[in-house]
Amino acid sequence: MARFFRRLRGSPFTDEQMEALRKSTAVNSAGYDPWGLNLETAERSVRFMRYVYEDYFRVRTFGIDRVPQGRVMLVPNHAGQLPLDGMLITLAMMLEAKPPRIVRGMVERFFPTLPFIGTWFIRCGQVVGDPRNCEELLERDQTIMVFPEGVRGSGKLYNKRYQLQSFGTGFVRLALETRTPIVPVGVVGSEETYPGIYNPAFLARMMGVPYVPVTPFFPLLGVAGALPLPVQIDLHFGKPIFFDDGDPDEPEEVTCARVEQVKQALDGLLEEGLAQRPNLSRGKR
Amino acid sequence: MKVLISGAAGRLAHMVADLLKAEGDEVVGLDVRPLPFGRTFPGTFHQVKRYDQRGVAEVFRRHRPEGFIHLGIRAATARARRRYTQNVLGTRKLLDYCRRYEVKRVVAMSTFHVYGAHQHNPVNIREDAPLRATMTFPELQDIVDLDHTVSTFLWRNRDDVNTVLLRPVNIVGPRLQNQMSRLLRSRRCPRLLGFNPLMQFLHEDDAGKAIVMAMKGEAFGVYNVAGEGAVPFLEAIRLAGGRPLAVPHILAYPIGGFLARRGRMPPAHLIDYFRYAVLIDDKAFRDDFGFEPRYNTVETLHWAGTRSR
Repeated sequence: MARFFRRLRGSPFTDEQMEALRKSTAVNSAGYDPWGLNLETAERSVRFMRYVYEDYFRVRTFGIDRVPQGRVMLVPNHAGQLPLDGMLITLAMMLEAKPPRIVRGMVERFFPTLPFIGTWFIRCGQVVGDPRNCEELLERDQTIMVFPEGVRGSGKLYNKRYQLQSFGTGFVRLALETRTPIVPVGVVGSEETYPGIYNPAFLARMMGVPYVPVTPFFPLLGVAGALPLPVQIDLHFGKPIFFDDGDPDEPEEVTCARVEQVKQALDGLLEEGLAQRPNLSRGKR
Repeated sequence: MKVLISGAAGRLAHMVADLLKAEGDEVVGLDVRPLPFGRTFPGTFHQVKRYDQRGVAEVFRRHRPEGFIHLGIRAATARARRRYTQNVLGTRKLLDYCRRYEVKRVVAMSTFHVYGAHQHNPVNIREDAPLRATMTFPELQDIVDLDHTVSTFLWRNRDDVNTVLLRPVNIVGPRLQNQMSRLLRSRRCPRLLGFNPLMQFLHEDDAGKAIVMAMKGEAFGVYNVAGEGAVPFLEAIRLAGGRPLAVPHILAYPIGGFLARRGRMPPAHLIDYFRYAVLIDDKAFRDDFGFEPRYNTVETLHWAGTRSR
């Protein structure tokens, strides 16, 4: 118990690290960067979110030192109904990367409409997924995180687990335009946190959300069923992919080939990660 | 230089007139409202019934102004019909006279509201961004229309008249009576529960300075005008010395209209500006006119919270 409170009180960052973060994110005199990030809020959130990271999901990271310094684009697979995978990667980059970095996740566009949670996401450095935002952040040498699968990935049902859904191509064009290395991140375990079994499309349409997660436990068990299952989660950071030869105005086929390359790399990471976890499996193709 | 100022009964126009006068210009005031009791305009003042009325032409004919500053905009809190008549029809007519009576330079005020408070907004919105205000709230049609009217005029008559269209952020200050200034001065300032968007503020003196700079400058076009930085609304309320009053957004839309009439809350079509951030990029204006705000955000909000007289 004493350990619990000691960790809650102690800051996850040293003063130098905090200063470095402040410098790298270029916050203004009031303490906010143009996208609404506030480092103090982010730091306080990490204090209690690290329990979720360390004790609930017991996250293991592999190859986090492969993430190059400077501007970088993290491209993970997306799964598990709620963006827990994004949250855990963000925490991993803050708690385990040397030096710690704030990941600017490109969140789904309906997030800012939610009270509290939308504001909290923004204060912790999350940004609405708009290409203009993305470009400007990369120009400021930030670490951004893109889910090219979008809701196709997070909303998919359990029978399609670890099957990468179709990727958008915008992220590769952005990477070409800003000369940004892409780091694929294979997230293993997130598919089992919310095993979706049914997606009532009519309900989602009615509520104005992309999908409604129905799992064996939610909404059957109410609030308790809404808790994610405590699966151990592994984050596999891949080798950075550089597209130095590319031209942002190249024809779509060439870009698609590059997207396919990223997808293959990500698939390889998932294959590797799943091999380490014999009790997890891929869904049918 | 002789400058005609519409909306001359307002405080901002008064400040602009004072600044111009100090630089040795002659000012002529024009408004649909009478001058408030006890205030004198630093120049000739004409009250007209409507801006699209024929009497306005007489003002142009008699004074033959070289510059025109259009500040006679009805605020977004006024009733929709009045706003349309004045902001769209009035502006059209005034610009028509400007062309006809050979005004050399026109400065017109639009607002950052034209970009619309939308959750899809990127930050640092530039002047070429889509004007999304009417996407969610058609009540804001008049300002978007005004903006289009002025920019059409701007390009069509660019050989004869140099027009600057300014899109400023919230202008606040102790002397102003606009919605945002009143809110920041009030003891309990309503905010939306669970939303705390970044907002930009411009001090009234800086706004006056920006307008005069736009009048005196060389460049023309559409420009965003902003202050020093952005702060979350909750922080802004605290800096202005008020106490926030949290209103759930589900409740705010229906009661907004009722309380808005009494100036206690923004009307429903403006509530989204307290929900989503609309942050504009004023780099172009700073570069082309050399504008640099005198007050930073903290000072601006401190001044906005003080009551004068």
